[in-house]
Parts: sequence; C-alpha cells; structure tokens
Amino acid sequence: MQDKQYAILWKENFNNFISSLSKLHKLAAPVFKGYNNYAFENVRSGQEIALKYIPTILPPKKFFMPVHETLLEYDFSRGLKADAVTEYEEIILFGVHTCDIAGIQCLNMVFSEHPQDQNYLIHSQNIKIIGLECNEYCDEFANCHLMNTHLPDGGYDIFFTDLGDYFIVHINTQAGEDIIKDTGFFMSAQSSHLNELASYREKKQAIFKNELPVELDLIHDLFDRSFESRIWDDLDERCLACGNCTNVCPTCYCFDIRDEINLHLTAGKRYRVWDSCQLGPFAKVAGGKNFRTTRKVRQRHRYYRKFRYPMDRFSRYFCTGCGRCSRSCMAGIRLKETLKSLIGSKEGAKA
Amino acid sequence: MGKPKVAFFDFACCEGCQLQVANMGEILLDILDIVDVVEFREVMSEKWGGELDIAIIEGSITDEHSVERIKEIRKRSGILIAYGSCATIGGVNGMKNNFDLDEIREYVYGSDFHFFPTKKTMAVHQVVKVDYSVIGCPVYIPEFVEVLKAVLQDIPYSVPDYAVCVECKQNENVCMYDKGVGCLGPVTRAGCNSWCVNNGNICYGCRGIVSGPNEKGAHDILSKYNIPLDLIKNKINMYNKCREIDQNAQ
Amino acid sequence: MEKIILKDSAYSIKKGTILGIKQMTESEKLFEIALEGGKRLDHEPGQFVMVSVFGAGEIPISVSSSPANNDSFDLCVRAAGKVTNTLHKLKAGDMIGIRGPFGKGFPIGILKGNDLLIIACGLGLAPLRSLIRFVFDKRQDFGKIHILYGCRNSANMLFLDEIKEWRKRNDVYFESIVDQATPDWAGKVGLVTTLIPGIQIDPDRTFVALVGPPAVYKPAIKELLSRNVPERQILISLERHMKCGVGKCGHCQIQHLYCCQDGPVFNYEAIKHLKEAF
Ligand SMILES: Cc1cc2nc3c(=O)[nH]c(=O)nc-3n(C[C@H](O)[C@H](O)[C@H](O)COP(=O)(O)OP(=O)(O)OC[C@H]3O[C@@H](n4cnc5c(N)ncnc54)[C@H](O)[C@@H]3O)c2cc1C
Ligand code: SF4
Ligand code: SF4
Ligand code: FES
Repeated sequence: MQDKQYAILWKENFNNFISSLSKLHKLAAPVFKGYNNYAFENVRSGQEIALKYIPTILPPKKFFMPVHETLLEYDFSRGLKADAVTEYEEIILFGVHTCDIAGIQCLNMVFSEHPQDQNYLIHSQNIKIIGLECNEYCDEFANCHLMNTHLPDGGYDIFFTDLGDYFIVHINTQAGEDIIKDTGFFMSAQSSHLNELASYREKKQAIFKNELPVELDLIHDLFDRSFESRIWDDLDERCLACGNCTNVCPTCYCFDIRDEINLHLTAGKRYRVWDSCQLGPFAKVAGGKNFRTTRKVRQRHRYYRKFRYPMDRFSRYFCTGCGRCSRSCMAGIRLKETLKSLIGSKEGAKA
Repeated sequence: MGKPKVAFFDFACCEGCQLQVANMGEILLDILDIVDVVEFREVMSEKWGGELDIAIIEGSITDEHSVERIKEIRKRSGILIAYGSCATIGGVNGMKNNFDLDEIREYVYGSDFHFFPTKKTMAVHQVVKVDYSVIGCPVYIPEFVEVLKAVLQDIPYSVPDYAVCVECKQNENVCMYDKGVGCLGPVTRAGCNSWCVNNGNICYGCRGIVSGPNEKGAHDILSKYNIPLDLIKNKINMYNKCREIDQNAQ
Repeated sequence: MEKIILKDSAYSIKKGTILGIKQMTESEKLFEIALEGGKRLDHEPGQFVMVSVFGAGEIPISVSSSPANNDSFDLCVRAAGKVTNTLHKLKAGDMIGIRGPFGKGFPIGILKGNDLLIIACGLGLAPLRSLIRFVFDKRQDFGKIHILYGCRNSANMLFLDEIKEWRKRNDVYFESIVDQATPDWAGKVGLVTTLIPGIQIDPDRTFVALVGPPAVYKPAIKELLSRNVPERQILISLERHMKCGVGKCGHCQIQHLYCCQDGPVFNYEAIKHLKEAF
C-alpha cells in the first residue's frame, strides 16, 4: 500500500535533492559556524548543511521579521510622498526543527491578529518550510517535551524524519508537493516505511521525557502566584541586560521604529529593528520616567511573556523549549532552573 | 544659505579617526556635496581661522595650551562635535590619569620634566560645551554620518544606551564567550554595529560603559569563564579612565 | 528582493497639514491639523494619533479637540525631546504624518446621562480638553460637570482663553490650583488632589475622568475612593512608551495589556490589581 501523504528520500540522494532544490529556489539551511554554533544561511549543496545541529544562534524568525526592515519610504523634495512598503523574496528553509516551527506558528498568530502586520504576513507567505525531526535532545538546555513541541504538529510544507538509510517525508501542503515533484529523487512511501516511522516515534517517547516536575497546564497558574516571588531578585543580581535572551528567542518580536533621512535631508525611510524588553531604555518615556527600571522586573516581564500573558491572548505558551535563551546567557540564567525554582518556591508549593 | 563651513581639529590623539574620514570613500563625496570643509590638517594644508558652522574635535585635552586652543575654537564655532573616544571619553590618553603626573613627566621627559607642563587628561566636554559626540576608537563612519545628519537637521543624537551584544547577536556572530575569550560587549554601549566582533576581534570597550552596568554580575561571569578580572579592568581603564572626572563632578 | 507598496499597511500614514500653531506656554504649542482631501479623523475623546515628523520620528499624541469638529483637529504638544522639539520648529503649511486614531478613549455611551468629574493635572488637560469640548457640544446629554485643573504654576496653564470661558459658564463648576504660587496668582495653592474633598458630588452617578503624570494617580484615586466613587467609575489614561500603536512592538505593555490598544483610557477596577499599572 502507498501513502500519498508520505514519500521517502534515500540518503544517497540527499545531496542531489539539495542541489536540485537550490537551483529552483533560494534555499537556507543550518550551517556549522564553529564552537558548537550554527546559523541558517544560504546553501547550494548538501555538504554545507549541518543535518545534526543544535538550535541556530538566531531562530528562523530572522526571515519572517528581518532584524532591520523598512516600513515606510518618504520624500519631501517636492511636496510630500510617503508609501508604506515591504521588500520580500521567495525562500525555502530546509531543516527547521519542530520547536522552531512552533515559534513561527506563534509569530503567525501575533502578526495576523487585528490590526494585521502586512510586512510580516507577506514574508510569511513567501517562505516555504521543510521541517526536520530531532531524534534526540540537542543538549541539556532544551525543554521541548514540556512545551510539547518535540513532535511535528503542522506549520510546515514538508517534514523530514531521519530513519537511518532514508528520510521519510510528510507532505503537508500543495507547495510541499511541488517541491517533491519538481526536484525528483523521492519515492512513494510503502506501508513498511510507515511502520518504521511508527516504531521510531514509539522509541522517541523513551528519549524525550518531561524535563520538569510540572504539568504544562499548571504553569500559567504557577505564574499567577509568582509575580512577587523572590526568584526574580536572584535574576536581578545576575542578569547583565545584554538582550541576548530575547534576540535569540523564536517568539520574541518586540521592535523599535526609527527614521533615517538622506544627507540632503530631502527623503528618508522609517524602519523597524529588533528591540528587547531587557534593555534599560525600553519602557522609558520623555521626562525620564521608566516603567521597568530594574533588571528584576524586566526579567520577570520576559518570563511572563512566555508563560502567562500569551495564554490570555492566544491560548498558548510562547516558549518553544528550544533552549536558546539559556544557551546564549553569559550570566548562566537558565530557563529550566528558573521554572524549577518557581515550582519549588513557597508560591509554587501552594499548587 | 551656503553650505555649512566645517573644520577638523586634532588634539592629543593618533589622528586615526581623521584618517577614518579620509578613507571613507564614496560617502565622503556625498558629504563634501553638502558641507564646505575649510580646515582639515590630515588632507589639506590651508588654515581658515574664521567663523565656523561646525567644528569637529579629535583628541583629548592634556595641557594648558590645548585648553586655551579648544576655548578659542569653541568661541568661533556654531556647533562643536567631539569626535572619537579620545575627545568624547578621554580614551586611551586617560590612562595617564592612573599615574602621578610628575612621575609620568619624569618617565617621558627625564629629569627636565618640569619644563613640560601637563594636566590630567580630559575629554573635550570636561573643558568646553560639546553639542554632539561621535564615540569610538576609531569612530564608526556610519554613526558619524548619522550624527552629521542630526547636526544638519538640528536634532539631538543619542548613543544607544544598551550593550554591544545586542548588535552582535543581531549580526549572528559566534559569541566570544563561546570561544572562551573575554569580551567587553556586555557592558559597552552599542552603536558601532559590533564592528570589532564582526571582524573577529573582541569588543575593547572603546565606546564607554552602559548606564547602570551590573558590575557584580559581570564579575561572576568573568570568574566562571576563568578570565582574570585585572585583564578586563585594564581594558576598561584603557578607554574609560576619564569617567572618574565626571563621577567626581557629580 | 522585490519591493512592493502596501495599500493598507498598519504603518501607512495619512498626510496632515498644519493649519495653525498657537504658543500656549513656554514649552507647549497647540497645532491645528487638517488631513489631506478633507478626510475626517473620526476619533473619540481620549484616543491618540501617531504623529510623524519626517526625519525625526513618530510619537503618540492625544487628540485635543472635540470629535464634533470634523474639518480639522488639535494637538497640544510639549517640547520634551527629539521629535517634539522638531515638531515645535515647524510652521503653518508644513506637512506631518498621522496614523490612527488608536486605542480606547472615554466610553461616551456610558458617560451619557451621568455626572462628570474631570480632573486634569498638567499636560493631562490635553486629552481631557477633547472630552470637555465634546461634553459642552452635547451639554444636555450630561448631568452635573465639575472640572478640577492643577498645574505647576500659572505660567504653565494651558488653554487660558478657554478656561476663562469655562469659569464664566454656570452649567459647570471649574476650579484650578497651582503647586507654586507666583505673584500674579491669586487662586489656591497645593496639589489638585486637595480640591477633591471640597466638591459636591453624588458619587453613585459621578464618573471621574482623571489624567495627569504617573505620580498623581495613587493619591487622587485614594481621595476619590474616600468620597465613595465606585472603582469602575474612575477612568484614567495611562502613558507608556509607544512605537507601533497597533499592539505589536511591545513597548507600551502593562503586564498582559497593551496600553495602545486596550487603553490608554482604563477604568480603575479593571487595572487596580495590575502591579505594573501605577
Ligand atoms: C497615549 C499618549 C498620549 C500622549 N499625548 C500627548 C499629548 O497630547 N501631548 C504631549 O505633549 N505629549 C503627549 N504624550 C507624550 C509624548 O508622546 C512624548 O512626549 C513624546 O513621545 C516624546 O518624544 P520625543 O521624541 O520628543 O522625546 P525623546 O525623549 O527624545 O523620546 C525618544 C522616543 O521615545 C519614545 N517616547 C518618549 N516618551 C514617550 C512617551 N511619553 N510616550 C510614548 N513614547 C515616548 C518616543 O518614541 C520618542 O520618539 C502622549 C503619550 C502617550 C503614550
Ligand atoms: S541573556 Fe542573560 S544576561 Fe542577557 S539579558 Fe538575557 S537573562 Fe540577562
Ligand atoms: S562576542 Fe562580545 S559583544 Fe558579541 S554577544 Fe558575545 S560578549 Fe556580546
Ligand atoms: S505601542 Fe507598540 S504595542 Fe503598543
């Protein structure tokens, strides 16, 4: 029996597939950068791709919401002309892990919510996603089982699972089907392949285990009780307010908007650039009043934006369990440890 | 109104920042299109000596003669820009303030040191009013261009008050701490687009320290990475010594 | 990279022309703005617009005029920093950009038929003037009206001409107070909150519109509660750093709320439990 939803790609054809795909489309995939760091970069061949990688320095959000992005162009040399603009390109992302796909799903919700953000949505429409399943934990920083993002759950065009000699590929959209067809190299999946996938997933259950002694459904309650927790004071002492944790977070999307004018002062553009609630000036207003002066309340805000506030608005947590914030924090602030401390605190104990 | 008249002046410094301007290439032509450079020792021999719209000051103030000279320039200039770390935060010259002045003079000039008057190194704003600052050693040209536009628009320019790490992460560099190397990015003010790290160097802290840095947190990190505290202290001192004059004035 | 023009981006601006500028105090100016093509702003009192001063940036400013006037609207702006100072340098005929109106203003539908106590502190009169003018335009729809206005000193008083008119009206009780008395000031001296105990209100049917700097809210609310005004009837407008105005950039967030979309006008009952609100 064949399954139209699934195809297989033998490993010996992987490089051919990537070469052929990169001839048809602009393609980005995880690339090794040294010192256990990876980044999504443009690739033309399979050899450049790191198939086994830990989450990249920046998540794929950089394609959906570029670090710098023009929103408006204006010219007042002769009267005033001002146009809202966006620049986009079609691109395929290969090798996106399930946690990062979840991050993109979160951002899609944010930017489709009224009033919509067309710049983001146009980027999103032009990006195709090829997912890649993790067979084991990337490292000790991940909490993807807790967040329930360690298994594929939509949000991709096609999805690769490594089953040893071959990849089994789930086809989820028309665009995904086109990728399969246009590149060739894929074979239809037989029931034996599907059985192998099923037994692989079963084995996976033994590898991925809840990382913390708490049920996902109880976390927002925990946060309801923890606003005044002493745990935040500890973070205050350690955090450097460098903003690494938010820049690397797949679901952080705060931005600043700035103007840049030309040297003749006749025309300019307005652009957005990633900003961070961890930085001192983020909530400061003219006259000097700052609504989040301490690193403590800024850290608390970050955690509440992952585990409490989005529950009201989007009915889901905005942590994907990717572990990037912990990995990139020089001060050693570790999300899993913070959660563990909250669970073990006197506020947590009330549960 | 004609083009604004601009002059560059150098005080105690290596003139590296002026060289940055001379080397800036195409954008320099655009700038020369909108301003009239009347004095610039690095590239021209004439002296102007008249009223200026914009004076660009490089270097720090280290002796009585310079104090008089900067005051004179201030008098005939509409806008005064402190340019480069030496001018804006004292920069490397501030290291002199670590020592007893007489000792330094003796070291540099030998037993005749009394004939060579010197002062504690001061940043330009510690002597005359500064309207705009372009920090950095050397200055980061795109930032200089932004400051120049702010001057021409008559709007303030403020240096970002957050860490170089912000820009460094946005550039997706591999963090120096992952390479096991100490970097001053976490406490240094951004605005240079993490220029040094992009080019494989660490951040040396040439742009001055962010407000309210977490000094205890920074110490903890250094000890965790086995980076000797003195090493970083020396690096911070290298550029930021003149900060003490401001702190004492407060 | 392909570039396209977006027709209805959240970041598109409407062109506005400055019709007139009035210097109100040393640091505040009143700008009268008309949108291109006679477009109407259609705002509610208490809402704000994002004002673009091209090259300098974009900032939130409350609309100061009554929605009953359709041809133009007023912005009362304090020179506080980069964008506002540049705005102050513009002249009549110059163009600015407008986005919005944004946010939730004062709930006119609920206020109608009730008494109003309007408490303005300093620049807080800017958004409240929109409400005051609207209420005067529809005076018969409202019950008793009290206006209390406090500011630093007499030189800081906004809308002096209009205040003269308000004082003369017998269908409104108006009182003002300054923090620092100057020789020209013959009125009361103290904080605006000290006026609250002296006024004659029926707390059950009084809605309070209170706008001022952050420090005024706690003491003012305390006074109002001690006069038995129900929490739900105390309406305040909160100020936050704002960049996008459309609930995305995160700057204006007050815990789970976005000041730019859920506010800036909130009723006290709805936010009193929020630690970050005050
Ligand atoms: C809902 C709302 C209504 C307002 N209504 C008025 C009004 O009617 N009249 C008036 O004079 N002022 C009003 N303000 C305050 C006004 O927005 C600030 O004074 C202004 O943003 C300062 O910008 P600046 O560039 O001149 O100052 P800078 O200090 O140079 O500020 C730099 C940037 O920080 C941001 N920022 C600084 N202060 C504020 C602030 N208070 N609120 C939001 N963003 C800020 C802006 O993006 C600004 O461009 C209002 C603010 C809000 C939030
Ligand atoms: S990465 Fe760490 S030190 Fe930097 S802002 Fe985040 S929590 Fe603070
Ligand atoms: S290399 Fe330096 S500037 Fe860059 S993130 Fe690391 S510590 Fe920060
Ligand atoms: S101003 Fe951007 S979210 Fe409110």
